[in-house]
Amino acid sequence: MENKIRQFIAEATFTDPEIIKNDTLIFDEGIFDSMGLLNLINYLDTEFGIAAEDSDLKEENFGSVERITAFIERKKAVVK
Amino acid sequence: MFKPKYTKEIIKLENVQGTIDSIVSKLKEDVGKKLRRRGGVVGISGGIDSSVTLAIAVKAFGANNVLGVMLPEKDSSDDSKELALKLANKFGIEVIEENISGALNGFACYARRDEAVKRVIPEYDPQKDKMKIVIPEKFLNSNLPPVFYVTVIFEDGTERSERLPMDEYLQIVAASNFKQRSRMSMLYYHAEAKHYAVIGTPNKHEVMQGFFVKYGDGGADVMPIGNLYKSQVYELAKALGVPQEIIDRTPTTDTYTAEQTQEEFFYQMPFEMMDLLWYGWENGYLAEEVANGLNKEIGEVEKVYKNFERKKKTTEYLRMPPIHNY
Repeated sequence: MENKIRQFIAEATFTDPEIIKNDTLIFDEGIFDSMGLLNLINYLDTEFGIAAEDSDLKEENFGSVERITAFIERKKAVVK
Repeated sequence: MFKPKYTKEIIKLENVQGTIDSIVSKLKEDVGKKLRRRGGVVGISGGIDSSVTLAIAVKAFGANNVLGVMLPEKDSSDDSKELALKLANKFGIEVIEENISGALNGFACYARRDEAVKRVIPEYDPQKDKMKIVIPEKFLNSNLPPVFYVTVIFEDGTERSERLPMDEYLQIVAASNFKQRSRMSMLYYHAEAKHYAVIGTPNKHEVMQGFFVKYGDGGADVMPIGNLYKSQVYELAKALGVPQEIIDRTPTTDTYTAEQTQEEFFYQMPFEMMDLLWYGWENGYLAEEVANGLNKEIGEVEKVYKNFERKKKTTEYLRMPPIHNY
């Protein structure tokens, strides 16, 4: 899943996937901006069926590849 | 380099008249010598920035060489025209009104915007209801970039807000930007017809934080107040004799049908505070120094610094000219 998310971020931003490590802070590093966040919310919905609520929109959930992955897993666990 | 101690007074202009004189002299030089134009066209809205810009242009070129153009459209607030006329009268310039609603209908500006709003809030009736784009307060202290909401104010006064998905957000912004771009086209028409320059009205925050439309209000030949903080613009307004009603008016975006302040739409904090924080960030003051000067928590200032850095970085695109060195 981490690779899939990394690939998505890389393709959306024309960034070399090698640069995006699991713990790279994608917003702090300027890889993603507010459009990137909207794009990401959209991607999580279409790719994983995850609807991000307002209360989910935190750096702890979206700040890096590993945080996004953990967020998806937590959300999926709640659905199950 | 010597840096004065950070205090709440740090951005207060030491010599307001000197600042005005220096801007006026550079504007004269830029327009007359570099651009080789014989006057200036200013789009006036009754807001503080365009009023100060106009007053400066009059000082630089003389009232006979400045044209004020009011550019209302059907969503513009009613008091804009009255204030703009008062301003023109005060400075003795020629003023004309160009209503751009027809051009905007031709571009389907309103229809494209309303279609996107209706996809999110199907009950929205643009004939009766009002709408605006907002960043809810709950996101102000987040380290993530803001997400935008559309708020519809129904005819009966009730409101509904929904988070905007990417496609709808982009469509609403792209459609609304026809307004600023149509205004820019009209200003250039009048400027070219008189061999004048277009005098842009953005202040420092608008330029540096990207609160302008590329080739819209960002499309101008010179921006004389582009290096001034908002509170400095107010200092100049008083010294230049801008009418008090304009000085007292809350800055709005005047873009959507519902009334909306600039603070609510974009800046997320009062301009007096934003000026002081931006100054601290831009001039390399530590978050701790600024926090002490403003009686704030260090963490809060650090968050704002991060937010400024991100805004400046992500809006570089808007300030860039076309890249042609291939």
